[in-house]
Amino acid sequence: MRLSSFILCCFLFPMLMMAQEHRETVHLEDVQVVAHRRLKDVGVEMTKLDTVVLRDNISLSMADILSKNSTVFVKSYGRATESLVEFRGTSPSHTQVTWNGMRINSPMLGTLDFSTIPAYFIDEANLYHGASSINLLGGGLGGAVEMTNKPVEKRGWGAQFVQGIGSFDTYDDFLRLTYGNDRLSSSTRLVYSTADNDYRYTNYDKKTDVYDADGNWLRSYHPEERNKSGYFDDFHVLQELYYDAGKGNQLGLSLWYTHSKRGLPFLSVDYKDDSDFKNEQQLNTLRGVLSWEQRKEQTKLSMKGGYSYSDVGYEYYTTRQEVSTSITNSQSYSNTAFLQANLDWMLTPQLMLMGGADFYYTHVNSHDRSPFHIGKNFDKGRPEYHVNVQARWRPVPIFSLAGVVRQEVYRDDFVAPIPALFADLILYQPWNLVLKASIARNYRYPSMDDLYFQPGGNPDLSPERGFTYDAGLEMGVKKKWWTLRANATLFDSHISDWILWTPNTKGFWEPSNVKKVHNYGLEAMLDGSVLLAKDWKLSLLANFAWTPSKNVGEDINDNDASYGKQLCYVPKVSANVNARLQWRSWTLAYQWNHYSERYTTTSNEVNYITGRLRPYYMTDLSLEKTFRLRAIDCAVKGVVNNLYSTEYVTVLSRPMPRRNYEIYLTIKL
Amino acid sequence: MKNHRFIISSQLFVYMLLLASVLTAACSGSDGEAEEENFSSTPGGVFILNEGNFNSGNATLSYYDPETKKVENGVFQRANGRKLGDTGQSIMIWDGVAYIAVENSGIVWGIDVETFKVKGQVVASSETKIINPRYVQIVSSTKAYVTDLYSPYVNVFNPKTFQWTGAIPTGQEMNKGYCSTEEMVQVGKYVYTNCWSYSKKLLVLDTERDEMVREIELGSWQPKSMKADRNGKLWVITDGGYTMESESFGDDVPHLYRIDASTGAVELDQALDTDEANVQIEMNSTGDVVYLINNDIYRMSVTDTHVPVRPFIKAPVDSNGKRHKLYGIGVNPRNGEIYVADAVDYAQAGVVYRYGEDGVLIDQFRVGINPNHFAFK
Repeated sequence: MRLSSFILCCFLFPMLMMAQEHRETVHLEDVQVVAHRRLKDVGVEMTKLDTVVLRDNISLSMADILSKNSTVFVKSYGRATESLVEFRGTSPSHTQVTWNGMRINSPMLGTLDFSTIPAYFIDEANLYHGASSINLLGGGLGGAVEMTNKPVEKRGWGAQFVQGIGSFDTYDDFLRLTYGNDRLSSSTRLVYSTADNDYRYTNYDKKTDVYDADGNWLRSYHPEERNKSGYFDDFHVLQELYYDAGKGNQLGLSLWYTHSKRGLPFLSVDYKDDSDFKNEQQLNTLRGVLSWEQRKEQTKLSMKGGYSYSDVGYEYYTTRQEVSTSITNSQSYSNTAFLQANLDWMLTPQLMLMGGADFYYTHVNSHDRSPFHIGKNFDKGRPEYHVNVQARWRPVPIFSLAGVVRQEVYRDDFVAPIPALFADLILYQPWNLVLKASIARNYRYPSMDDLYFQPGGNPDLSPERGFTYDAGLEMGVKKKWWTLRANATLFDSHISDWILWTPNTKGFWEPSNVKKVHNYGLEAMLDGSVLLAKDWKLSLLANFAWTPSKNVGEDINDNDASYGKQLCYVPKVSANVNARLQWRSWTLAYQWNHYSERYTTTSNEVNYITGRLRPYYMTDLSLEKTFRLRAIDCAVKGVVNNLYSTEYVTVLSRPMPRRNYEIYLTIKL
Repeated sequence: MKNHRFIISSQLFVYMLLLASVLTAACSGSDGEAEEENFSSTPGGVFILNEGNFNSGNATLSYYDPETKKVENGVFQRANGRKLGDTGQSIMIWDGVAYIAVENSGIVWGIDVETFKVKGQVVASSETKIINPRYVQIVSSTKAYVTDLYSPYVNVFNPKTFQWTGAIPTGQEMNKGYCSTEEMVQVGKYVYTNCWSYSKKLLVLDTERDEMVREIELGSWQPKSMKADRNGKLWVITDGGYTMESESFGDDVPHLYRIDASTGAVELDQALDTDEANVQIEMNSTGDVVYLINNDIYRMSVTDTHVPVRPFIKAPVDSNGKRHKLYGIGVNPRNGEIYVADAVDYAQAGVVYRYGEDGVLIDQFRVGINPNHFAFK
């Protein structure tokens, strides 16, 4: 789609809707202020992503949402390809992720691909930074992401359909059907996204030489190429049922199925013809959580049971005549059963006790059928038992303390206890200015691939150990015309026995506890909104992180120049700004985010071109118009991604798309 | 009044946003157009191929001048304004051209050894049977062979014109993963190649008929490196393969073989030390001295019946007692100097050690990631 025609569609078409306009009054949303700070949140460093953020661009994955609205670094291999989340310069496996209380990290890898999580399926997401993750679960040496679904509040039937069309033959369909009465609430959500995703880019990694008729070289140029094998075809369905059984009892059921088929894009330095090769990942995932919760005046008791199934197939083969062969044909099946019980007990308004126990049993069967990776990778089961006790105490109105201890057992291997201590001190009540601090020790047990993968897995690995201190200030003010929230946190973290996979000489990789890392830095957030005039509202959310993350482990030998150097692919600085200007039924949104230079070698080489990735700045812009047609609420939204057509990569040899466009039509009953 | 202040401050904010947008619009995250440098290399220089990291596209080429002890890194990129590719596997020089097989990019480059400028390339296009090219062997002025990790063919191209001219079926079972072919040596009219991946075999190719004519099976798994001596003997080193819980593809014990090329008879079979270090074999220019990496560097005459007990050059050990893991070896045919690579942690600039023919260290210098092969002008 050409730029001019798109602008017509995206930005002028909504104006035609003026005739249909109904005036809407812009309100300030409720703002979380610390005056009524919950005991549960004592000392916690948390980023809350509400539905305004999660639904701002309906087609975004959680990977996109997190990169644009938080301080975490999202290491993305391209559009709709693997996207891993790193807190504070740690590794993706140091980010623990839960959905409705159940941990959903891959049991094989310990990571989660956030590009497979549509933001449309998440109603609330909380990011627990550093030590704060211990409130949720252990092992989050960098942090944890908690994603939850909420019952619909609307009574009666409801429906929403969104049709999105975008560049590179992208089609997104979203459907939500809801029903609610005094007792029962149901929500069914479906997402279907498909795209050729064959965006064009100037390939600065290649050159095409031009010769004259006699074969003499004339000139060369960087060719325009398309993203090869970048297609995707994702389908998700999420069914939720909630039943209010009275007397504070609530039952809930969430079932989420995903089928994803994705081409794995070729490198920009690959000269093979993509029509000869298939490089594809297929994923089927089913997750379910059944919950019961009982709220009484002083207690909240909850029980959960869950199940997660995943099969992941990765196939790389050539169809070329006479050399047709399967190079990789790996398939893994994982089944996880989950049980959880939690009790929150408010003994007095100043003292709260909490306790809980989790049980996971995971079985993984991983094998490869290709002739080049012969055999079974592993076929193992592993039980896990986690218990935690927590106490939160507010001895005086301005000061609170909290302590958490976790114990994790993997099969019969007791990991050392995970302790954490949190404190809050209100410094200035009118601004709700609070000083927060925490200290924690944390452990991450090796993933099943780390321990068992054949060949290479190392059953003698020790858990990774983390030690973290946090201290920060938080404030929140709400006035008639404006609101402002801000926080800034300094952190210092040491991780030892970091597990690293390195190649050996037999053609495969092996993990070992080799690295020691020192992460420290600053995370800051500013969130405000102002009513400019009648019907005018301006909102701003800005995040900033400075995260030196340095290798301080023992040298491999005296040639090792990596000591004291920034870890590979971890930016020292990341920042983003989200601004929204609302006028009646119009919303103009501006998103800007930045990652500083990232090194690709452990010694931070800068004297050759592949040694570092240049910093980049990304700008997205959208305009939305809501209107009403009879009894139907409608919206039209146009989005321009990468407004300035910046040419950039987030990982070596993985070019990202230049300027691209999306348009959405929403119908809501 | 208060409301008015808000409007002004908000307008200011919007202007600042616009200004920020314009300023940041000029900033690009891409490396963009790179200047091409003009090189005029000295005679007697050494090319070092740095493999890079698989799937990262960061293979590079270094050039070292033994006279001035000056090293230039990333010369392919600097001379040609394009990247070398993903996983540089091997480099060899013939008639003023360095042929570089870049495995996972599916390309064999030919560059001028003086200017480092690209003279041509053979690409794994649909017309060929190349998938992941590993090594190049020049058979004649019009014929070169290319081995492959995945293809059951040895491809043939014209080294002058870079035209693909055909492919030799290796007859290996693809369903067992035994079809890889690696290094090549020529003895008479036959080219010998070792099959590294999940195999125990050497294959014999007739260069006149462009046919695979014979197989030689070894007792040890995964023949990794091979050279021929002046007596027409093949020197082969295996990595011994490995054993998994469910299956076995070897016993982890590397072996050194001397094989009569004409009969295929094994004349020497010696088990070597088991360790994590690479195994590789090199021959001096006169074909009478064998060098091999097996943790340390050993040197032996082609007539010796076993590997010496003491190494010729011990792998460097630092002040903390940590031994360097050696990753590649090359012997300069001009003067017998020995070049050895240390890949350090496989993710940073590696180090090359240059030793005299007598094993005395002359120089050491930094190159690219995972230096694995040397070629001498």
